Amino acid sequence: KMPPSEKSQHAKPFKQRKSLATRKEEVAGIRLKFPTKIPVIVERYHREKYLPSLDKTKFLVPQELTMTQFITIIRNRMSLTPSQAFYLLVNNSSLASMSLTMAEVYKDNKDEDGFLYMTYASQEMFGSCTECTAVELSKAG
Amino acid sequence: MDAATLTYDTLRFGEFEDFPETEEPVWILGREFSALTEKDEILSDIASRLWFTYRRNFQPIGGTGPTSDTGWGCMLRCGQMILGQALVCRHLGRDWRWIRGQKQKEEYFSILNAFIDKKDSYYSIHQIAQMGVGEGKSIGQWYGPNTVAQVLKKLSAFDSWSQLAMHVAMDNTVVIEDIKRLCMPWLDFAGAAAAPGLEGERELNGCAEGACALAGAEGEAALWRPLVLLIPLRLGLSDINEAYIETLKNCFMLPQSLGVIGGKPNSAHYFIGYVGDEMIYLDPHTTQPAVEPSDDGQVPDDTYHCQHPPCRMHIRELDPSIAVGFFCHTEDDFDDWCMRIRKLSGSREGLPMFELVDSQPSHFTSSDVLNLTPDFSDSDRLERFFDSEDEEFEILSL
Repeated sequence: KMPPSEKSQHAKPFKQRKSLATRKEEVAGIRLKFPTKIPVIVERYHREKYLPSLDKTKFLVPQELTMTQFITIIRNRMSLTPSQAFYLLVNNSSLASMSLTMAEVYKDNKDEDGFLYMTYASQEMFGSCTECTAVELSKAG
Repeated sequence: MDAATLTYDTLRFGEFEDFPETEEPVWILGREFSALTEKDEILSDIASRLWFTYRRNFQPIGGTGPTSDTGWGCMLRCGQMILGQALVCRHLGRDWRWIRGQKQKEEYFSILNAFIDKKDSYYSIHQIAQMGVGEGKSIGQWYGPNTVAQVLKKLSAFDSWSQLAMHVAMDNTVVIEDIKRLCMPWLDFAGAAAAPGLEGERELNGCAEGACALAGAEGEAALWRPLVLLIPLRLGLSDINEAYIETLKNCFMLPQSLGVIGGKPNSAHYFIGYVGDEMIYLDPHTTQPAVEPSDDGQVPDDTYHCQHPPCRMHIRELDPSIAVGFFCHTEDDFDDWCMRIRKLSGSREGLPMFELVDSQPSHFTSSDVLNLTPDFSDSDRLERFFDSEDEEFEILSL
C-alpha cells in the first residue's frame, strides 16, 4: 500500500492514470453500491503554487449537495481563510454556479467515463522581471 | 537593470499605435464612442483616468524598504487605478474631464493625494504593500487581483473622506443581501440569520456608527454608502475560456463599470474598455520619478494621466485571473446593476462569469451541518469492494 503522502502527489492526472474501460467499470461499481451519490474527481491545477493539495482525489458526494456546500467543505479541508481566492473549474474550463446542486452539475458536465471532473486553482500573481521585459520587447519588435 | 527599464520605457513610448479607424463601437467604462467621429473624445476620456505607474525615489516603504516598485508593483498600481476610478466617480462623476494645465477642483487633488507615494496617503504603494503582509505577501512580492482587492478593502475603512462601502465578492457569487447590509448598515435586517464573517466585514468598513455620522453630515442623500464592488474571478486555467469573452465585454458596457484588473501572464494591466476583439488598457509598466506635492496640497499631475493613445491587446491574450469592478453611487444604481446582470445571464449570450443571488444560502452558515469526516460504515463496505492498491473514495454525507 502506498504511503498517504505519495497518494496525494500523483504526477499524472487521474484520467491519464487509468484506461477509459477501467474508469467506466469503477463508476459502474460505485454507482451500484451508492446509487444516490455522485462520483467526483477533484484535482489541483498542475501549475498551482499557493493552494495545498488534497489527500483525496475521488469523492462520493450526495446529489443534493450544492456547489456552495461542496466548496465550503474543500475550503475548510485546506484551512483557507474566507478572503483567499479559490476556484473550482468544471472540466478545466468553467466556474460552476454556486447555487446548483451536484446532481445538476453532474447532469450537464459528466465525463464519458461517468465521473465529474473538477480542477481547483487560486489566482495568478503579476509582476515583471527583466526576463519578462525582454520577452515583451522581442514580441513588440 | 535600470538602463534596461529605461530603454524599454523609451521604446514603449515611441511605438504607440494610433487608435484604429473602425466602425466597431468603442466602449470605455460604460460609455460608447465612435472611433471614426469621436477620436478626440476617446483620447480625452482616457487621459482623464488616473494613470498610476511604477515610480522611483519615493520614501522607503516601512522606513527601510524599497524606494521603487519597478518589477513588482504593477498589480498594486492597477489596484490604485481601479480604486482611483471609483473615487473619481464618487467625488467628480464619470463625465468629469481632466484638461492639461487647467485648474482643477479641490476634490481632484484630494483624490490624487490619496494615492501619492507617501507612507500616510490612504492608498499609497506604502499602505498597500504593508497591508499586504496581513494577506501573506511580504513587501515587494507580486500580487494577484484578489490580493490587491482584499488589501484595498481593508484600507478603505480608514478613508473617512470617501466613506466607501467596499465589497469583494468571493466564490464567483454576489449576494445582494450582503451588499445591502454593507451599504445600509443602519437598516435592521430583522429575521435574516447573521452570517458569520459578515460582522467582521461591517466593522472593518466603518460600522453603523460611521454611517450615522455620514447620514448626519449629508442628510437625506446618505441613505446608501457608495459601493465599490470587486469580483475576483478565474475564467479558465491557462487560457481564458472563450465562452466568457462576450460576457467580459459586456462588463465594459454597464454604466457602473470600473473596468477590470488583470493582465497578460506576469504583467498587470488596468483594462478600461474594448473595441472589436481588442481590450483597451492603461499600463503601469513605465517607471517615472516620484512626485512631491507642494505645500498647498497641489500636485504636479501631468504624469498621472496617460496622454498617448492607449495600449490594446487581443482579448484572447488575457490571463484568466482577473477582478471585475463596479461602482454604485446610490441604491438605485445598484438595483439597476442587478437588473442588468440578471438580463445578461438570462440572454444566454456568453456564459455568466459570476452568479447574482438574493441571499446567502441558509445551509451555508455552519460547517457542523456537513459531515466532514468520512462515513466509516461506508468506508468498510468500500474496502471490500476495491482492492488494496486502489485509491479509496472519500464519502461525503449530509
